[in-house]
Amino acid sequence: MAHQKIDTYAATLNPEVRQAVRSNSAAGTEKRYEVLGSDFGNPDPLRKLAGAIKQHTIEHLDQYLEQAERSLTANGVKVHFAVSTQDARQAVLDILQQTGCRKVVKSKSMISEEIHLNDFLEENGVESVETDLGEYIIQIDHDHPSHIVKPILHKNRRDIAKSFEREGLGDYNDDPETITRRARAFLRQKYLQADAAVTGANFVVAESGRMVLVTNEGNSRFCLAGTRVHIALIGVEKLVPHDRDLAVFLNLLARSATGQQLTVYTEFLSGAALPAQPSGPREMHVVFVDNGRVDTLASNCREILRCIRCGACMNVCPVYRQASGHAYRSVYPGPLGAVLSPMLAGKGFAQLGDLPKASSLCGACNEVCPVDIPIPDLLLKLRNRAKEEHLPSPGSPPMGGFALLATAPMLWRTAMHAGIALDLTPKGLIPVPALQEWLKIRTLPAWRGGKFRSWYKNRPAQGKDRQP
Amino acid sequence: MANTRTPVTGRKVQLMATCLCDAFYDDVARATVEVLEHLGCEIEFPEGQTCCGQPAFNSGDWDASRKIMRHTVKTFSGDAPVVIPSGSCAAMLFHGAPLEFEKQPDAPEVQALADRTWELADFIVNGLGITQWEGRLDANVAFHRACHTRGTESGPAALQLLGSIPGLKIAAFGEAEQCCGFGGTFSVAFPHISGSMGRLKLEHVMETHPDFLVSGDMSCLMHLSGLANKEGKPLQIRHIAQVLRDALIQAP
Amino acid sequence: MSHRDQIFQGIRQAITALPERAAYPDYDTAAVTTPRWLPAAEENETLFRKRLTGTGGFFFESPADCAAWLKKDGAKSVYLAPEVAHLAADFAAHLEVVPAYTRDAVDRIDAAVTVAHGAIAESGTVILTDSGTPDRLAALAPWWHIAVVPRTGLVRTIGEAIAALPADPGIVWVTGPSKTADVEGILIQGVHGPGRQGSFFL
Ligand code: SF4
Repeated sequence: MAHQKIDTYAATLNPEVRQAVRSNSAAGTEKRYEVLGSDFGNPDPLRKLAGAIKQHTIEHLDQYLEQAERSLTANGVKVHFAVSTQDARQAVLDILQQTGCRKVVKSKSMISEEIHLNDFLEENGVESVETDLGEYIIQIDHDHPSHIVKPILHKNRRDIAKSFEREGLGDYNDDPETITRRARAFLRQKYLQADAAVTGANFVVAESGRMVLVTNEGNSRFCLAGTRVHIALIGVEKLVPHDRDLAVFLNLLARSATGQQLTVYTEFLSGAALPAQPSGPREMHVVFVDNGRVDTLASNCREILRCIRCGACMNVCPVYRQASGHAYRSVYPGPLGAVLSPMLAGKGFAQLGDLPKASSLCGACNEVCPVDIPIPDLLLKLRNRAKEEHLPSPGSPPMGGFALLATAPMLWRTAMHAGIALDLTPKGLIPVPALQEWLKIRTLPAWRGGKFRSWYKNRPAQGKDRQP
Repeated sequence: MANTRTPVTGRKVQLMATCLCDAFYDDVARATVEVLEHLGCEIEFPEGQTCCGQPAFNSGDWDASRKIMRHTVKTFSGDAPVVIPSGSCAAMLFHGAPLEFEKQPDAPEVQALADRTWELADFIVNGLGITQWEGRLDANVAFHRACHTRGTESGPAALQLLGSIPGLKIAAFGEAEQCCGFGGTFSVAFPHISGSMGRLKLEHVMETHPDFLVSGDMSCLMHLSGLANKEGKPLQIRHIAQVLRDALIQAP
Repeated sequence: MSHRDQIFQGIRQAITALPERAAYPDYDTAAVTTPRWLPAAEENETLFRKRLTGTGGFFFESPADCAAWLKKDGAKSVYLAPEVAHLAADFAAHLEVVPAYTRDAVDRIDAAVTVAHGAIAESGTVILTDSGTPDRLAALAPWWHIAVVPRTGLVRTIGEAIAALPADPGIVWVTGPSKTADVEGILIQGVHGPGRQGSFFL
């Protein structure tokens, strides 16, 4: 029987990588659980509040996006809009060309991964260097992040040491501290030489036009101290209505992502640097990017737009832990990615239509999500969509026959009895939809079809005076 | 996922035995009957019941699943609580069904059934108000909270009941929040991941050397014991209804 | 149609199709965001110290203490922001005091002392602003950064700090030294920013 692509990927995954992904994700889950538990006891009221604020925001996105545009403009920020991947790349390139920028430093931003910005800029003669340590390693390895918060979860220190040696950053040395120091020395020159900084944003406040950027390494801060032009690529869903809402989200984001109360650097930006400030961009541009988000808003999976990209759902996900992020064949892995990636793919939905199947629907993702996204429900809706679009689904038996059986009690009872000889078991009958596959790694209990019914019917006494 | 259950007033209940008990685990259904009758419930077992339709629902075939759910709604007419010895099937009724019927004209009937659906342990503790179990059972057990009871009162209710049985010890094990890997058709469409998840769960459970593994869901237990058996490391399993019933039997 | 109009049109279409729209929830920030361990009695200053240390930061009783520690920890030169220039004597006793911070000094000056706008007690965070920081680089590039906290700028919670965000285009909250756990999940301090982050009150 054909298996799902993600299962095949997991089966052939390097055991070392699987172990790294698993233990690192588990540690993330553990830290999140500890800090939220000790700080809030039950974090659910806070998670649900955050979810409600985001749901309200995306369902009033026309107002808030317009308001954000006004506030940003009033702060002296130039606001641009981009519908597609191509538009977004072009918008960045245009700004760079108009401002005479040839060298870019980048702070980690998932949306720039979505539009493969680095490759595009390089093709157009602009040097673009990732500055987050993990992202930098991804870049020199021509690899892809396997986690949205911890991009090199799938690499070990030996891999990294080899890459650094190859890039001329010193002799082979796999001590994490040495690796970090070498990156520090190399990248600070890049910040100082660069003309422009490209960043994302974690939140944009509609009422004030404040953008919030969080990092632990301080790379985005350095990007915004070394360069003269700042370009922020921001998904249209990143808004929150009021400054005060930031207290809710900042209290959740780092705790959910890394188990910290706050990330080390939390920047609130509302425009270019002050004229008196010697370091920092002289102009700021915001590019609001659609790239499938507006279609997602129009779909029955719009709740996924609440996501604040904390990564908690992938840390806790047992499928992600076994398969690793690359198994999802897209920028966003894990439960988030299983919903968002096929949605953002638009017309390419069919290519990623198997992602929503990669879940036992255990619901752990929903339980940890700081904005309480009902991810299992969304996975189910997408499975339904895939079915309606007649996408193939290896391993899933057709359910039409089963529905016939399950709506005809006489037939059902006969099947129950007939099943005693297992060969006669109707092939579609759960709980063994694909018996052979089941039996490869598990045994099956003895068939006792109809036994309960006959006991129930034939027992002598009924009611509360019967002795158990 | 949360469920709104209409408060229980009478002692009449409708039993949905689940297809798994119908096919394999007759003693679990039987124990459920015995436990409920011990508590003074009058049980009705609608003969026409088949399956809750979850396999079709989870596989995305909502047309097929809705057909089955309509049959279920018809079969379980009335207003008595519907009690199910499975958190997963209960969740299908109170959560899955309303989701697949969102845009259907008969959504209200489906919601009405959802509102009177109870998972067994939740029903005993929060429906009937019983928090102490009679009897005695001398055993060390591990308890696996089935994932479809996340966000409901079923897990705490089961632990409350088990914890109140004299002689019964519940051993905590690692990564308890992780799924066992069953997931319905997931278990055969993703056999590698499903098997790895199951083995991980088994490792944690076996470390506590339990006399048996208890759960409110036979599907998880079927998968886990099936894996353990295949690997020659048999695992004793019990549904919570069996544990409650056995405690009554062992009691002097 | 411009990209802007296309996006707005799409959003409006999506939203108009909704049968109902979620309302903005009513909430009390302090009630939902205050950690339950936050001791009611503990003073902000004590709390700040404790939390700063908890993030891997250092707290000093006095400028002199700070200067002595910097030397002990290996710093040789220190830049003092104009607001703290009057502390030069304390620092000059241990280190070479550099009067100005320039871009070409990024790798030459070991330590910098700048003045924070304020601090958050519950998280051990210092609040820096563009207007209060003589050079963004000075508070970032040196291995040692000391943010001097004016007692009057100390607030208790993250919620209070958000409510009192100053009107400044470049505010940054710094909570401990620069960190990464990218390589095998191992915590390393001092990635791009300071490897040592400290404070004392003024
Ligand atoms: S879906 Fe939720 S848990 Fe997952 S990354 Fe987004 S906010 Fe975090």
